[in-house]
Amino acid sequence: MGEINIGKAPGNKAVLPFYATGAVAFLVLCIVMLCTPQSFTQHYFTPHLLTIVHIAALGWGTMVIFGAAHQLLPVICEQDLYSEKMASASWYTLTAGIILLTWKFWNLDVGWMMITGGSLIVFSVLLFVINVWKTTQICTRYTAQKLLITGSAFWLLFTVSVGLLLAINLSLTTPMFRVSHLEVLKLHAHMGIAGWFLQLITGVSTKLVPMFLLGKSSKEYLLRNAFIFQNLGLILFLTDGYFFAVTGRVLIYAAIVLAGIIFWLLYLYDVFRNRLRKRIELLMKHTFLSFLSLILAVLLIPAVYYSDGYRFTMVYGTLIFLGWITNIILGKTFKTLPFIIWNNQYKHLSGKLKIPLPKDLYHEKLTIWQFRLFIAAFLVFALGLVLQHLTVIRIGLVLWLAVAVIYCLNVFKLLFHKTKI
Amino acid sequence: MSMIFNENDKTYDMQSRAEMALYEVIDPELMVNIMDLGLVYEINFPEENKVQVVMTLTSQFCPMGDAIKTGVQNALETEFPGIEIEIELTFSPAWNYDCVSQEGMMQLQNR
Repeated sequence: MGEINIGKAPGNKAVLPFYATGAVAFLVLCIVMLCTPQSFTQHYFTPHLLTIVHIAALGWGTMVIFGAAHQLLPVICEQDLYSEKMASASWYTLTAGIILLTWKFWNLDVGWMMITGGSLIVFSVLLFVINVWKTTQICTRYTAQKLLITGSAFWLLFTVSVGLLLAINLSLTTPMFRVSHLEVLKLHAHMGIAGWFLQLITGVSTKLVPMFLLGKSSKEYLLRNAFIFQNLGLILFLTDGYFFAVTGRVLIYAAIVLAGIIFWLLYLYDVFRNRLRKRIELLMKHTFLSFLSLILAVLLIPAVYYSDGYRFTMVYGTLIFLGWITNIILGKTFKTLPFIIWNNQYKHLSGKLKIPLPKDLYHEKLTIWQFRLFIAAFLVFALGLVLQHLTVIRIGLVLWLAVAVIYCLNVFKLLFHKTKI
Repeated sequence: MSMIFNENDKTYDMQSRAEMALYEVIDPELMVNIMDLGLVYEINFPEENKVQVVMTLTSQFCPMGDAIKTGVQNALETEFPGIEIEIELTFSPAWNYDCVSQEGMMQLQNR
């Protein structure tokens, strides 16, 4: 055997529990949303909406991304994952923290249980940050992806730390922040959206999309610019928002972040133009639609800021959590999980026997229905939010539940797959 | 990039058999065999009971890299039972699109 280290995938415990829990959280999220459709017609600071947003952001988005990141960090950094035990421990603490936090959010039951939940989440993220930091530090080669992924992990730590302070703040008689709780909540939310999710997705997608499409781009400067602009816009927004106020200047900061997004998408477009695989897979279509949702969300910020009521805030949140993050996970799950399962069960038989390919381990037809239902669910739900019509919102939520059921069927078919030869 | 064996070489038949065996090893992600992908640079029989394969991967930490290497090992073991197998990985030259055969290119473009 050759001496070159081609690395090894981390063990199952570092990856699969995250995918399984994420899928369950997505189902729970859709059930909870269906149980409280009126939450989408009120102010965004309500116990039920707080629960929904945290199930979406932590239980669904962050959970799946943690699992995928543990699998992909070795690919991106060209090094083995620093610690599988740490990865596994982060699952236990993240899961326990999310259960406690969202349970206590439901009735806004402020106190030590909520704070314990928040603390467990912070601890879990700390473990993740150490793992990312140590894995990327071994890697000697500088890449923009490494920078983006490390940066996103630190933003997540900052986000959940501020979240924990917000939970503590709720139980205090004298507020600890110089600005109102609701203002800090806006900053907390956007640290998570533009710091954690955006930069993580930017970093990972610019490594994965070229791999999936067999494409390439030599325009590394676009990624550097993406990193600079995304961070600059966010830092200005947070500084101005905390030390002064969230004012119309947010539009300038949003424009700066948008420039960062455009640099990132231009890089991906260059990869797309220089690709070998010409056919666009259905799962890649999820990814393209997710980018469209993100752009629409940023373009909607002026309406969110200047309009009365909360309908545009709701549409904005939907574009971010369902149109962008959920969309990208729905597609990318089946570009990563089947390969992880296949590697565990069939790698040793490769070249020896006729064995199934990764794409044979799940129902491809279900992913077609998943895509169609996703579009229907998104459009109907968004229409319901714009019209603030409870029946339309309910229909949209039933469709979302159908998407979640289909997704879970396929994910658990993969997770419970037994070797067939 | 395609491999050309010398017909006058005494190991020509063995090399051809090894090549055919390696056509059965599929890259699970790209769903194209590794010969058409141009991942195999050399197949040599330096000794009577030893086969040496010089090959590459599409990237050093390709998530399917270990599976492909195992596939090569298994395919050669099946074709030449009891033979010593040496797989040398190299990234010099690095794999690029020019390595892919015309057949491989057609398959890739349809997948």
